[in-house]
Amino acid sequence: MAYSELIKNFEKIRAYMREFYIYGFKSRNEYDRKSARSYDDERRRVESWLGDYMRFTKTAEGKNVFLSVDSRTACKNPFYKAWKAKSFTDGDITLHFAVFDILCAPEIKLTLSELVDEIDSLLSGDFTFDESTLRKKLKEYTAEGIIITEKQGRKVLYSRSPDVDVSQLCDVVDFFGETAPCGVIGSFISDKLPPHEKLFTFKHHYITQALDSDIAAMLFDAMQKKSCVTVENLGRHLDKPVSVRLVPLRIYISTQNGRQHLIAYNIKLNRLFSYRLDYISDVKIGEPCERFDELREKLNAAENCMWGVNGRLDMKDTEHVEFDVRIADYEQYIVQRLEREKRCGKVEKIDDNHYRYSADVFDTTEMIPWIRTFICRITRLNFSDRAAENNFKADIEKMYEMYGIEDNTEDNTADSGGESDDIQ
Amino acid sequence: MIFSELYSAYYNTVARIITAAFDKNTTEKDLDRIVSENAFSESVLTIMPSLKSGKWKLLDSSLKPLLKHEPTMPLTLLQKRWLKAVSLDKRVRLFDVQFPDLSDVEPLFTEDDYKVYDKYSDGDDFGDEGYIGRFRLIYYAIKNNLPIIARLNNRYGKEVTLRFFPKGFEYSEKDDKIRVIMDGCKYRQLNLGRIINCQLYTGTGRWNEKPEAIQIRELTLQINDERNALERVMLHFAHFEKQAERVDDNKYLLHLKYYATDETEIVIRVLSFGPCVKVISPDSFVGLIKERLEEQKRCGEV
Repeated sequence: MAYSELIKNFEKIRAYMREFYIYGFKSRNEYDRKSARSYDDERRRVESWLGDYMRFTKTAEGKNVFLSVDSRTACKNPFYKAWKAKSFTDGDITLHFAVFDILCAPEIKLTLSELVDEIDSLLSGDFTFDESTLRKKLKEYTAEGIIITEKQGRKVLYSRSPDVDVSQLCDVVDFFGETAPCGVIGSFISDKLPPHEKLFTFKHHYITQALDSDIAAMLFDAMQKKSCVTVENLGRHLDKPVSVRLVPLRIYISTQNGRQHLIAYNIKLNRLFSYRLDYISDVKIGEPCERFDELREKLNAAENCMWGVNGRLDMKDTEHVEFDVRIADYEQYIVQRLEREKRCGKVEKIDDNHYRYSADVFDTTEMIPWIRTFICRITRLNFSDRAAENNFKADIEKMYEMYGIEDNTEDNTADSGGESDDIQ
Repeated sequence: MIFSELYSAYYNTVARIITAAFDKNTTEKDLDRIVSENAFSESVLTIMPSLKSGKWKLLDSSLKPLLKHEPTMPLTLLQKRWLKAVSLDKRVRLFDVQFPDLSDVEPLFTEDDYKVYDKYSDGDDFGDEGYIGRFRLIYYAIKNNLPIIARLNNRYGKEVTLRFFPKGFEYSEKDDKIRVIMDGCKYRQLNLGRIINCQLYTGTGRWNEKPEAIQIRELTLQINDERNALERVMLHFAHFEKQAERVDDNKYLLHLKYYATDETEIVIRVLSFGPCVKVISPDSFVGLIKERLEEQKRCGEV
C-alpha cells in the first residue's frame, strides 16, 4: 500500500513514538518487531508530524532517530498531533462536509432519502455514494453526538446538534488541555477556536502521557458507568499482552516519574493491582459492577497507607518506615520539604536540629527514592522491612564507592551545609 | 474513542480552505499556505491535489466552494464531556468565564476518578478569593501590556514591593503552583501565591531593570540498567531536552539540559536513583553530589 502520513490504527505509532521519545538510542536494525519498511514509514510519519523535535545521531550501529522536547518551552503538547492523523476515505470527507452544509442549522430536519437528494444536488450528482453508506455515517455521527435522530411517525429525521458556544473558553481550554486528564480533547476544541495568544507554559510537564489518552478516556468512561473492563496488559515480565478482567477504580497520575497507573480490582485474583497505562493496549467496557462503590471506598481507606500505587484491600501487614534527619538552625525549609512532600505518615520534631518522619505503608520500596533525596542529613533509619533497610544502606555504600568518598566520620556536626537553598 | 478523523488536522485544514475559498480574493497560494500552517509537513502532497482533482468533491475547478456555507461542526459528545469535567475542577474559577449549559452532559471524569498522587501538598489555594482576584488582575495586565505593583512575601518571609510587567504564567504540576513570568524587574518569575496584594502600576518610574538571562547547563549521567533503572530514569527525565546513547549492554549515557536555577532540584532527583545513576560531567555537578555523600558519611548512620 502506498505511504500516507495518516494512519488507521494508533497502537503501532504509539509504540514507536515512545521509543523515539523515551529512549532514542536504538538504531533502525533494532526495531526488529516490525519490518524495516514499517520502521521507515513510521519514522517518516513522526517526522512529518513532529519534524521540529526530531533529532538524528550517527553511531557505529547506524543512524539513530530520537525526539527531544523541552516541554517547559512548549505551550502545546506536540504529541497531540499524532491524535490528529487518523486516515479516512475520499467518500468520508466529502460526505462529512456535504452533510453539515445541508444540515447547517439545528432546525433543518431531513429524512435519509431527502439528504441523499440534497447531496446529489449540492455536488451536481458527480459524487457517487449509496444510501447505506450515508446511513452508516449518520449512525456513527449520532453516536458521536453531532447528529440527532428523531422519529416522526415512521420516518426518521436527521438534524445537527445545537452548537455550543466555546468562544470565551480559549484560556480555559489552553490551560486544561495541558493539565487535565485526556487534555488532547481540549486540543481538539482549541483547533476550532480563533487564533489567540497563549498565556501559559508548563513545568514538570510529562507530555508522553498524551499517548495513553484513549486508554485513559475508555477507563474513565467505564468508571463513570461503574463497569468492569477487559484490558490487554503487557506486564513488564511478559512477552505478549494478556487479557485481564478488572473493575477500574482510579487512575493515579505522577508528576514526578511520568507514569500513569490504573488501580483496579482484579476479579480473578480478588485483590487490587496497579497497571501501567502505557502497557495497556485495549480496553473493552463490560457489564456494570455492583461492588464498584464498595471497592472504591476500600481504595479510599487504603490510600492512608499508600505512598505510590501499591495498595491492598485489607489494611493488615503494613510496613513501618521511620527516618531521622538533622537540620542546621537556618534549614527550616527542610522541615517544610518533609511536610509538603510526604503523602502519608507524619513529621515530628525531636529537638531543634532533628526531625523524624514515620509512616505505615504497604510497600517500603516505593518510598526509597524519596528518602534518598535527604542524603546528606539522614541520621537514623528504622524500617520494619529489614531487607529494604539493608539494601538502602548498601546502596549508599555503593555510592560512596562510585564517587570515591573516603571514610572520615569524626566530624559529626549539626550544620549539614548540604542544600544552600530550598527547591522552588 | 478519541482517535477519529472528525478531529483530524486534515478535516480542520479542509474546513479552513473552504472558508477561505468563499472569499473571491483568495488565491491558490493562500490555500497552499493554509495547508502548510495547519496540517503536517507532507500534507501539501495530498490536500490540495485531492481538492483540485475532485477526489474530494468540495471545490470546483476554479477552486470555489461547492458548498453553500462556511463549514462548521457541533462539539462532539466527547468534547462536551471533557468540558463538563473541566468545569468541575476547582482551578477553573481562576478564569472569569461563563461555561455553556452542559447540564444534560455527564462528565468524562470527576475528581474521584483520578489522583495526582505525588504533587506537593503546599500548592496554591485556587479557591481563595484574594488569590483568584490577583490572578485575574495580572491576567488583565498581561492582555493589555500593563505594569503591576505587588506587595509580597519573599522566601525569607520578608515583605517586599515589586514592580513588573507580567508576560505570562507558568504552572508546575508537581508544585501545583502558578508562577508569573515577568519583565521590567530583575527577577524572571514570581510565585503567584507569594503575592499579598497587587494593583496596576500607574507611576512614572523608569524601567531600567531586566531579568537575568536564562542559563542553560548540561549534565551527563551514566545509567546502570539494574532494577529497571533505564526505563525509570529515561521516563523521569523525559521532559528535558535530552539525548541518550548506549555504552554497553547495561550502561547508557544520558545528556540533558537544565535551567541553572533548578540545579538543587536536579541534584536531588539524581540522588533519588541511588547507585543506578552516576554523574559523569560536569565536575561541578559531580562535586555537588560528593558534597552530599560526604555529609551523609559524617551523619554516621549509613
